[in-house]
Amino acid sequence: MTSARNIIATLSPLLACLGLLAVWQVVALWLDTESFPTAWHALQTVPQILGDPEQLLNILDSIRRMVIGFSLAVLISIPLGLAMGRSARVSAFFNPLLMMIYPVPKAALMPIIMLWLGVGDASKTLVIFLGVSLPVIYHSFQGAKAVEEKMLWSGAAMGLNGLQRMLRIVLPAALPEILTGCRTGLVLALITMVTSEMIARQSGAGNILFNAMDMAQYDTVFAMIIIIGALGIVLDAAFDKLRWRLVKWAEPHQEILLGAS
Amino acid sequence: MRDKVRKLSSPSERRSTGGRMQVPLRPEIDTGTGATSDERARAMIEIDRVSKRFETSGRKSHLALADINLTVNDGAFVSILGPSGCGKSTLLYIVGGFVAPSEGVARMKGAAITGPGPDRGPVFQEFALFPWKTVLGNVMYGLRQQGVKRTEAEAQSLRLIEMVGLKGFEHFYPKELSGGMKQRVAIARTLAYRPSVLLMDEPFGALDAHTRTRLQNDLLNIWERDRKTVLFVTHSVEEAVFLSDKVVVMTRAPGRIKEIVDIDLSRPRVRAELLLDSRYQKYVVDIERMIDDGRDDAEHP
Ligand SMILES: Nc1ncnc2c1ncn2[C@@H]1O[C@H](COP(=O)(O)OP(=O)(O)OP(=O)(O)O)[C@@H](O)[C@H]1O
Ligand SMILES: [Mg+2]
Repeated sequence: MTSARNIIATLSPLLACLGLLAVWQVVALWLDTESFPTAWHALQTVPQILGDPEQLLNILDSIRRMVIGFSLAVLISIPLGLAMGRSARVSAFFNPLLMMIYPVPKAALMPIIMLWLGVGDASKTLVIFLGVSLPVIYHSFQGAKAVEEKMLWSGAAMGLNGLQRMLRIVLPAALPEILTGCRTGLVLALITMVTSEMIARQSGAGNILFNAMDMAQYDTVFAMIIIIGALGIVLDAAFDKLRWRLVKWAEPHQEILLGAS
Repeated sequence: MRDKVRKLSSPSERRSTGGRMQVPLRPEIDTGTGATSDERARAMIEIDRVSKRFETSGRKSHLALADINLTVNDGAFVSILGPSGCGKSTLLYIVGGFVAPSEGVARMKGAAITGPGPDRGPVFQEFALFPWKTVLGNVMYGLRQQGVKRTEAEAQSLRLIEMVGLKGFEHFYPKELSGGMKQRVAIARTLAYRPSVLLMDEPFGALDAHTRTRLQNDLLNIWERDRKTVLFVTHSVEEAVFLSDKVVVMTRAPGRIKEIVDIDLSRPRVRAELLLDSRYQKYVVDIERMIDDGRDDAEHP
């Protein structure tokens, strides 16, 4: 019974992908225009791109920036969010700042950042950093705020000092919420990664994609979309697995919706 | 003497109960001047003219506790009874050092309480277990914090878990337990680090009658063995009389101490004998009447 369910659970994403590709194939054949290659063509181009050392290096460049931007953002945002959640003063200080940054699409800051930091890694990593930071700060903040006071009191009665309570009670208690923020952040990292490379075209997956677009190499365009999409799916699935391992003790709660930025 | 009683209850309250009070009344009032050095030495906790006012949303503030004076002797078992919202939990939090009084001072062994510490172990009404720790992890937490070695902490904790009847559930997470089971974990977690004062806020509230009786007996055994000082909040008059040396009856909000009743029943107490004991029955009836009187006062001022 459960094993049958498991098989369905693992197969259904695969089936969804196949279904999507099938629809794509049919629509592309039916439209029959140059700017919309068939799924089959696009898929065939994927190994060509990944097999080309120059292209592959470009893609790895993107991933490196994404990993660095994401990691830095998480390392800074979690402590900041937790501090904001537990201290009205810290929260009062940072809240207006975050409120101002929040609605601005991070890619829109790209031109200014490029002016300061150039078109290299620094600008793009910074944009990814900004994109990831906000959801992680927000969720860490919410998580820390929701920590039951009596839990902290219990810790205090056992002799935990303020810092210990932060690290050993607030952090684990808020972890489910923090990881929800990180998961949203991961998707946003991918999005900002591509958009930043679209604006500062110099290297990266976005660079390949938009250059191919300019040169009307539509097979490559769609192959890149497949590659980036697959990267997103794999990262998200891997992260969700990690999250589940870390917080299997938590009450099951709402699946997250992807926040756009 | 008159001076001492003044703090205890308002004149109208005294009139309604004072006339036919047959239970021995010995209000323990320590105004800071009257106590002899002998009484001082035995006092574990002194609550000295404590009031607590909460700033609530809206402009009005709420007086939760008004002028509480109470001395709890070393090794005494003291229960607090009173209507919901009268400030019982708040009083425990003040002794625990989690909440600061608005006026007055609470002392532990003569020193003013300024914050929480492992000498006072709270069992909260809301359990407040650590959800990311298993039953064993929760119970071990305090011992590990005090530097007890893992194997030793584990052995002690397993014994406590067995005592509260949760053998077999050591590796369950709190979300996998029922309310009553969580409550028992909370009790074990606090007992584990051996505080000299237990602050128990309706610790048996969520338990079925059978488990409740069993844990009452276990608590009495532990208490008779270790002679911890216990401050115990409950809504059950029987439970209070059965367990306590002294029962504190509070008035409805703002919470004041209405009566302090000494329970003069020999120990060790055996439930089956006590239930048939007319003195026990009388305590229960008298205290129930005191609580009812409070209700009449509110309805016919
Ligand atoms: N943090 C707070 N802020 C404002 N008011 C509070 C706060 N905590 C408690 N109160 C108020 O103080 C009063 C006493 O609360 P408390 O929890 O001590 O009552 P209690 O006697 O323990 O009640 P119960 O038997 O229902 O547990 C209540 O009227 C409550 O509304
Ligand atoms: Mg209460």
